[in-house]
Amino acid sequence: MFRRTYVWILRLHPRSFRQSFADEMLLIFEQVTKDRESKNRVTGDEVTGNRAKARLTEAKLVGDGVVSLVRQWAFRPGFQNKPAVAEPTTPAPDGVPGFYVIGSFKPRPSAVIHGLILSIGVLSAALLAMKFSWNHTGHLPFPTLDREENASTVEQQRAILPTEIAPVSHAAQSSRGNPGEVEGGERPQSAAAFEKSQRLQSGVAWKQAKNVADEGARISGKPAIAGTRLRAANERRDDHRSTAFPTIRSGSPEPQAGQPEPQGAAGATNPPGADDVKLNAAERQRVIERAIATLKRYYFDREVAEKTAQALLRHESNGDDDAATDGGAFADVLTKQITDASHDMHLTLEYSRERLPEHPPEQTAEDLARYRKAMEQENCMFRKVEILPNNIGYLKLDFFPDTSVCQKTATAAMASLNHADAVIFDLRDNSGGMENMVGLIASYLFDHPEYMYSPRESPTEHSWTRSPVEGNRLADKPVYVLTSASTWSGAEQFSYDLKMLRRATLVGERTRGGAHASVFHRIDDHFGMGIPELKPINPFGKTDWEGTGVEPDVKVKAAAALETAEKLAKNHLSKK
Amino acid sequence: MKDDVSEFVPLSIATLHILLSLAGEDRHGYGIMQEVARQSEGQYKLGPGTLYDNLQKLIERRLVQPIGGRGGDDDPRRRYYRISPLGKAVLSVEVERLETLVHEAKLRLEPARPRRA
Repeated sequence: MFRRTYVWILRLHPRSFRQSFADEMLLIFEQVTKDRESKNRVTGDEVTGNRAKARLTEAKLVGDGVVSLVRQWAFRPGFQNKPAVAEPTTPAPDGVPGFYVIGSFKPRPSAVIHGLILSIGVLSAALLAMKFSWNHTGHLPFPTLDREENASTVEQQRAILPTEIAPVSHAAQSSRGNPGEVEGGERPQSAAAFEKSQRLQSGVAWKQAKNVADEGARISGKPAIAGTRLRAANERRDDHRSTAFPTIRSGSPEPQAGQPEPQGAAGATNPPGADDVKLNAAERQRVIERAIATLKRYYFDREVAEKTAQALLRHESNGDDDAATDGGAFADVLTKQITDASHDMHLTLEYSRERLPEHPPEQTAEDLARYRKAMEQENCMFRKVEILPNNIGYLKLDFFPDTSVCQKTATAAMASLNHADAVIFDLRDNSGGMENMVGLIASYLFDHPEYMYSPRESPTEHSWTRSPVEGNRLADKPVYVLTSASTWSGAEQFSYDLKMLRRATLVGERTRGGAHASVFHRIDDHFGMGIPELKPINPFGKTDWEGTGVEPDVKVKAAAALETAEKLAKNHLSKK
Repeated sequence: MKDDVSEFVPLSIATLHILLSLAGEDRHGYGIMQEVARQSEGQYKLGPGTLYDNLQKLIERRLVQPIGGRGGDDDPRRRYYRISPLGKAVLSVEVERLETLVHEAKLRLEPARPRRA
């Protein structure tokens, strides 16, 4: 078998080399194997083991042939077209077809042309086949996040949003860089779009957005996903604005005839729907002045606000903004200047091609009812509540819904775990939610009120747990929280606080890292600012998890987190 | 002559061994392989691929020339190779270079004698 392989390897060598040396190389192969066999016979070891050595010798020769083959084709191009160094030998007497040479034979010109045409045809067919297969890669299974899989749920939840706040987001902006994501809708559920919409939604909110549905929209990624997609899909490709603030897609009050236009040069000069918004120097100056006024009024750190304002004025006087003549580019330039000066990523200037409404949309009882119905249908996002082996309670929660709607569900879930010896909270797919639900669930884990720090809001009555809960038996039970790189926002707060309070062991991956929020302030018809208004003191004396995520106590892949936590709980319980 | 052959040196190990094996007598490929193994006391073994790759280059540079078979009982596929006068000159220059090198190495590797103040 080795010999036949060797023959084929020799045949694959360049013709010149083959003609000159192939016969001799085969002869050496035979000679070496023959010598090895005779050596075996002499030592009498033919049966007892040296046959393997003979095979090894042949294999080495085959390997040498392969190396030679590669070497000749790859590194000896100069020899490939040279004539053989000696006259070709006669065909091998052993009957192995091999090393015949065509000598000085030259094909007819017509044969060469036919060969050329045939080659071009085959090449074209191959290229077409490649192109065809490329176009069909979209049929490959594409990984999507669970929370995005249920399109009907997403759409349903989006629908309950009273005013369909959709972010004019970087997702839309990125349509230039990744048109497939937005335009063609080939990747409507991409993780990238999800990430952007999550970031934007958590980052900026209307100042007055205090009611339940609006908060749900702000904190939850779900409505944001659909909103972003629809918004993005409706965007023109050449709409390259920056970003992160809510735009009213429907029901936004358009200027009425006879109604006085709101002041603002940008608003006055750029009617809603204008395709190409151009700003002159006076308009830019007016926007900067208003931005500075808003910044100084609302930003929590007056010193930084002043410093940032000075930087904006300095850039303006240096003419750094002159090149930015359209709204989106201008917002980008100013945002960079602001970020550079303040080092606060949540302090941004935003631009909307469409006219911004004067006030955030009001919400109705009907909207709230729809929200309630949707939450009920989703069992308030309590995906699984069960008792695992060794009497370990397991709760999989994908969102922290508002207690005004879901308190009963949460209470029932915790009651069903009440007799467990340990509890595992699975937050690997949790996209955040309401602080009051974070506090409610945490209430079961303490026997006294405990402060649950949130970097988003100043302390309120909901910042303390409602411990002790009557009849609760979980206050002293070991707790494990499963995290993943998707664990976000409110779920990170739950994880972070329990970790800092040494009340839970975090198992899994570092979380996604969404902590802060900024409030959106309209400064004219087309510009607004995202401004963090407060920075609560972290009682744990450390920076929060913004941008860095919450580090688990036990680092394992998210997929292995449950199994690991079960083992940890089992070991812990067995020591008792 | 030295100037003419200086472009060929230093030789690669395989080339040096092949030329050395042909210095005493004409050999066929397998003979060269065996002689190389003997010269190096089994420490350096040439495979056929490496051997003929180097022979190809040596023939191209006219350091070695194929002289065909010997007929008789010899396998008709067997071909012998002979070192050319140029090959011998190159080998001489290379050996001379190596001698200098070895001499230099020995000087440096000798233990330093203590100097008297």
